[in-house]
Amino acid sequence: MCGIAGRILSEPGPVGADLVAMMQAMAHRGSDSTGFAMYGPALPEGYVVRVVSMNRRRLDQDLETFHSILKDYGSDFLSDPTWDSLKQRHVSVRMTMSEPTAEFAEWLEEADAIAGFEIQSVGRTLEIVKDVGNAEEVMEKHDLGSYIGTHGIANARMATESKVYPTASHPFWARPFPDIAIVHNGQLTNYWLTRYRLTRQGYRFYTDNDSEMIAVWISDQMSRGLTLEDALKLSLTEMDGVFTYLATTPYEMGMAKDRWAIKPLAEISENGNMATATEEQAVRKVYRKHHPVINYDGPAEYTTWACRPAKAIAA
Amino acid sequence: MTVVTVEVGDRPLRQINREIRALASTATEIVVTDPLSRHNLAVALTEDTPVRILGNVGYYCGGLNSGGVIHVEGDCGWGVGEAMARGKITIDGYAGMSVGASMRGGLIHIKGSAGPRCGVAQKGGDIVVEGNIGYLSGFMAHTGRIITLGDAGDATGDSLWEGAVWVAGDIKSLGVDSHPVEPPAEEVAEVEELLDGLGLADSTRDWKKVVSGQRLWYFESRDSSAWLMI
Repeated sequence: MCGIAGRILSEPGPVGADLVAMMQAMAHRGSDSTGFAMYGPALPEGYVVRVVSMNRRRLDQDLETFHSILKDYGSDFLSDPTWDSLKQRHVSVRMTMSEPTAEFAEWLEEADAIAGFEIQSVGRTLEIVKDVGNAEEVMEKHDLGSYIGTHGIANARMATESKVYPTASHPFWARPFPDIAIVHNGQLTNYWLTRYRLTRQGYRFYTDNDSEMIAVWISDQMSRGLTLEDALKLSLTEMDGVFTYLATTPYEMGMAKDRWAIKPLAEISENGNMATATEEQAVRKVYRKHHPVINYDGPAEYTTWACRPAKAIAA
Repeated sequence: MTVVTVEVGDRPLRQINREIRALASTATEIVVTDPLSRHNLAVALTEDTPVRILGNVGYYCGGLNSGGVIHVEGDCGWGVGEAMARGKITIDGYAGMSVGASMRGGLIHIKGSAGPRCGVAQKGGDIVVEGNIGYLSGFMAHTGRIITLGDAGDATGDSLWEGAVWVAGDIKSLGVDSHPVEPPAEEVAEVEELLDGLGLADSTRDWKKVVSGQRLWYFESRDSSAWLMI
């Protein structure tokens, strides 16, 4: 079933708290896991990296390996990595790194090869935080309530197509394209075929989740010169199944919905701010007073909203 | 006149619905405030006490009602009046997907437009939409009338059984095994009488009644290619 939400603020603000409120209102749509992709102030150089390591006891060793690979590619940490201090086996790590002087995709491939150490997002501004549990549990663990940013998307997942696992939850980063993420509500029926074609082009997948493929497919189309809007439109015929998804870049957010008109999406916009979610009652957690609601109920719909990225700040 | 107010806000839904049901036997009108687009409001009503909801509601408003006169002063989400047996629901604004899904009786009156699958699997009663109805409206409807004063979307009346989709405006496209017929004068008179009761009288409408072609009633798997739409 799943529930998805998106939030855009005209000025940097509590995008984390807003998304948590919307996701908690849709906890009944699936609380296997909940995840957030948020866009805050951009680094002037380098990237924010979010990683989940599946073995806390190996963390020091894995970080050391990661660091030495960074150095091999002419990069280094810009700040010391930080991680959660819980007793769970998996651990979420945040770090900032300078830009590799060698090929980014090659660095990523090598870093991704560290066993049980999955890179969840890389971007100047994008940070993906996802974990098992409902929105409030994930918020408390990762301190999302205080996150200040300009926009973000989120997902509450009821797993239908792959297992419940921190790294199999949404949002998905469009590996290896920095700063692009998606959340998805639905099931794709031509997933394996499309994934196979993308794999033949050199893209790599880390889960059996159909939503991971949407992120890579959209970014691949954009790397060929399509605008986000064009890519969303093309996906209506290229993707088969029932789906409504949200895709974001630092500058834009977009939605696309299949031709069978199954998965809903409601939107309230006012004064350059926007909230959208699978259920209108979730949007009303942010807009408690009456505002006109746009319902994307029809078949084969797509749209985009402009985002205003925050000014760069130092790491 | 005892008009009683029930506030929704963030309170537990079961408590709100219990209050509405308890008040229905004593009050002359129940006003529901701050509904915050929440789901399952005013469900399973049996008394015909008017319930006025001031704002948008979420999914399944008035579902399972066997009575009840609900007036929503706003929009509603999907499945309004789902499986209702009797009663009346009026929506001032837009109605989401699957209006009156599986409804068995009563009347749903939408003053705005309705989303996809309006009257899906309808088993009786009437749905009147003053605006347009969306994609796949009347899908698998068994009995009853879906009446729109506006236009109908794609795949109208797809896989109909004995239900009917009445369209005063244009039909974008027809669904599988459905076709429009010229409705008999006495049936038109019945529809106009129903609309007159809602203050929507207009004798100049050019009605199209979409009904089943009845070929799917005798489906045989060897004919499946004729129905394959994907």
